[in-house]
Amino acid sequence: MSAILEVNNLEVLYNNIILVLKGLSLKVEKGSIVALLGSNGAGKSTTLKAISGFLPLEDGAITDGTIQFLGEELTRLSPHKIVKKGVFQIMEGRRVFEDLTVEENLICGAYTQKKRSKMIKDMDKCFAYFPILKKRYKRLAGYLSGGEQQMLVISRALLATPTLMMLDEPSMGLAPLLVEEIFEIIRQINENEGTTILLVEQNARMALEISNYGYIMENGRIVLDGPVDVLMGDRDVQEFYLGMGHGNEQTSYRNVKHYKRRKRWLS
Amino acid sequence: MVELTNRTLPRVFLDRVAACGDQVALREKDFGIWQSVTWNQYLTQVKQFALGLLSLGFQRGDHLAIISENCKEWLYADLACISLGGVTLGVYPTSPSAEVKYVVRHSDSVIVLCEDQEQTDKILEVMDDLPLVKKIIVKDMKGMRRYPKDIILSFEQVAVLGRQLEKKNPYLFLEEIKKGDPEDICIMIFTSGTTGPPKGAMVNHRNVEATTLSAAEAMAVVPEDTVVSYLPLCHVAEQIFSLYLPLFIGNTINFAESIATIQNDLREIAPSLFLGVPRIWEKLHSSITINIQDSSRFKKWCFHQCMAIGYKKANQLLSRKKIGTGLTLAWWAGYWLMFRALQNYVGLRKVRLSLSAAAKVSPEELLFFHAIGIRTKEGYGMTECTGLSFIHMEDDIRLGTVGKPVSCIEYKLAPDGELMKKGPSIFMGYYKNPEATAKTVIDGWLMTGDVATVSEDGHVSIVDRKKDILITSGGKNIAPSLIENELKVSPYVKEAIVLGDGKKFISALIQVDFENVGKWATNRQLAYTTFKSLSMMPEVTALIQDAVNHVNEKFARVENVRKFLLLTKELDHDDDEMTATMKVRRATIYKKFAREIEMIYKG
Repeated sequence: MSAILEVNNLEVLYNNIILVLKGLSLKVEKGSIVALLGSNGAGKSTTLKAISGFLPLEDGAITDGTIQFLGEELTRLSPHKIVKKGVFQIMEGRRVFEDLTVEENLICGAYTQKKRSKMIKDMDKCFAYFPILKKRYKRLAGYLSGGEQQMLVISRALLATPTLMMLDEPSMGLAPLLVEEIFEIIRQINENEGTTILLVEQNARMALEISNYGYIMENGRIVLDGPVDVLMGDRDVQEFYLGMGHGNEQTSYRNVKHYKRRKRWLS
Repeated sequence: MVELTNRTLPRVFLDRVAACGDQVALREKDFGIWQSVTWNQYLTQVKQFALGLLSLGFQRGDHLAIISENCKEWLYADLACISLGGVTLGVYPTSPSAEVKYVVRHSDSVIVLCEDQEQTDKILEVMDDLPLVKKIIVKDMKGMRRYPKDIILSFEQVAVLGRQLEKKNPYLFLEEIKKGDPEDICIMIFTSGTTGPPKGAMVNHRNVEATTLSAAEAMAVVPEDTVVSYLPLCHVAEQIFSLYLPLFIGNTINFAESIATIQNDLREIAPSLFLGVPRIWEKLHSSITINIQDSSRFKKWCFHQCMAIGYKKANQLLSRKKIGTGLTLAWWAGYWLMFRALQNYVGLRKVRLSLSAAAKVSPEELLFFHAIGIRTKEGYGMTECTGLSFIHMEDDIRLGTVGKPVSCIEYKLAPDGELMKKGPSIFMGYYKNPEATAKTVIDGWLMTGDVATVSEDGHVSIVDRKKDILITSGGKNIAPSLIENELKVSPYVKEAIVLGDGKKFISALIQVDFENVGKWATNRQLAYTTFKSLSMMPEVTALIQDAVNHVNEKFARVENVRKFLLLTKELDHDDDEMTATMKVRRATIYKKFAREIEMIYKG
């Protein structure tokens, strides 16, 4: 399989002073689900924003490196052009248009879709994935529950029929059962629609469960990458991301140590 | 020859306290603020801890193991133990549990002082195999509320026990000190163990006094000199430098927060004596060269101009030529323009004497520091002679040699070139290992295991470890460390292991410096993710090939590294590939990378 997205040595600077990404490189292969994991402040969201061109909105800039999508340069393109090329980011924190109805929200997502008939067909597809949205069709998005809002933003992304869908923390603030449901649907979307998915998550266990490949980021750099089964077997990943202590048991809070095993990220 | 006073170390300590009293003895950074301890306070702490140990049943001749980074408690416990006639031994805090177990068990320690939860866990994990260990004393009890209280005590608790005992018997501490004899064993220092398990070298009071006094004489140490303690105290050089030198001479010691913050701490303290190991010099050097690469073109140009002047002056000084007025003026211009800033940057502007020891260093590495005005000397010593035995005296600096013997050492060369040493600082033997002792000390002569040569004017150069010398299938003897150190001068090479014993040509396994090569790759838009992917890039191989070619030019053809392989994994103490002092364990490497080595010589 070939890589549809290639990020090479990306360097991102906020406010001309804060160096967030220090030479980050990653590849996303067509049709795969790639998880990008890392602790708070590692630069995961920045990576996604850099790809979808949102950095200028936050006074950030790509100072070095390239982003290539299907052989085309995305670096420094404006966000709407990037969306048209088939890259769609679902931002962190369920950004629905609160004062618009579910219907209107979905129509906004179909911005790149010219044919109305296709749009209606796509919308039906969304309702198949998320039947609840059909019931809430005329409601204001601001009054939906957190889980429903997350479903709405995913549907909105689906309507743009992206080649690459990037999700930023879809599990944030949701009940565990809902998280499982949403991840299952992400997997289905990948399988049925063939959409390539780049997933940023704090919930490493869930993310690795549905992914094929994983990258682990720390301090603006990739420290480890590999197919998911390899990552799951890595001691550092187990201890620092999957919360497993020594001997494969889940660590109890009582036994939490005040020191950390030195991370080495052997690959 | 310096005159030995034949006092035990605790007596020296008491005399020092009597002389210096309220002057500052130690400084330690606590939450960002330097806190000081006077000699009087130092004594109180030592006394309390000693009496505390006594009430825990610690007896004359017992062994105390310390597993901690450098801190004042390390020194308190050490002196307390020695005052009671016990023996102190340090265990590297970076050691994995198995190695900790070996050292604590082999040394028959009865009490272990641990820095924190991490070190305590290492001991608890193997507690069943350590029947002699009665108590574990912990400096930082954080997170240990639920730990077994019968064997674990805090450092403070021991001091409380000591205070109680002192109330009952105020003269007990002095009485214990009086019982001591200068011939008693007082410290045990574990060799780093590049071959086989570490051996415990036993050292007595007289050994320490002889080394410390003759080192102080050779370095002309004065009481006003300040020292930053940052190398592991388990190592003999650091013990002499930051424990015994102050005891005998009266210097102030400053504890660096950690090895990671050493550069900041050095800048704050600006010590006048500095002991660096080759790895530290390499790091300081490469951090300057790498940062210069990032600066503007004008600054780069200035740097190269100044360095040219610096090197010129350094070379003339080293070859004892007179420095012309023009060069002096140019150098001072360079000083105000750049050298001063560089000296500040590495934190060594106030340094009066800087020394590189503990392993061989490339002369080129030190020449760089000479060029920026830090006249680093080289010293040579070993655990078995309680530290320093050779050093460049005064201004007599010859890079590439280790200078002349300190006054307590006599030396000669064995017929095969092995360096032999004799004197009052030669150790008392390996603990529980008479065979090894018999092989090491023969008729009072210490067989160093190092092959050396002596120049006409009496400067000794160390060629290599005798057992490391390679003999190629062409019958040529080659000292690998010489080539390895030259390779390590490149900021892109972190570690190099030269191979070729019994082979047709010389080759090397090279570990690139992740940070510097990573930066180099980023600047050239070469994508990599991890150490492995970086090391596997053909461009990196080409980069290292350049460094290798550069080194090859300096050596004879037979000594040229014809082939090399980049390691795809960083060598690590945890994987047994390195010792705690970051020396490569060759035997392990040969075994572990047998396939790679075969590949080099196959095709």
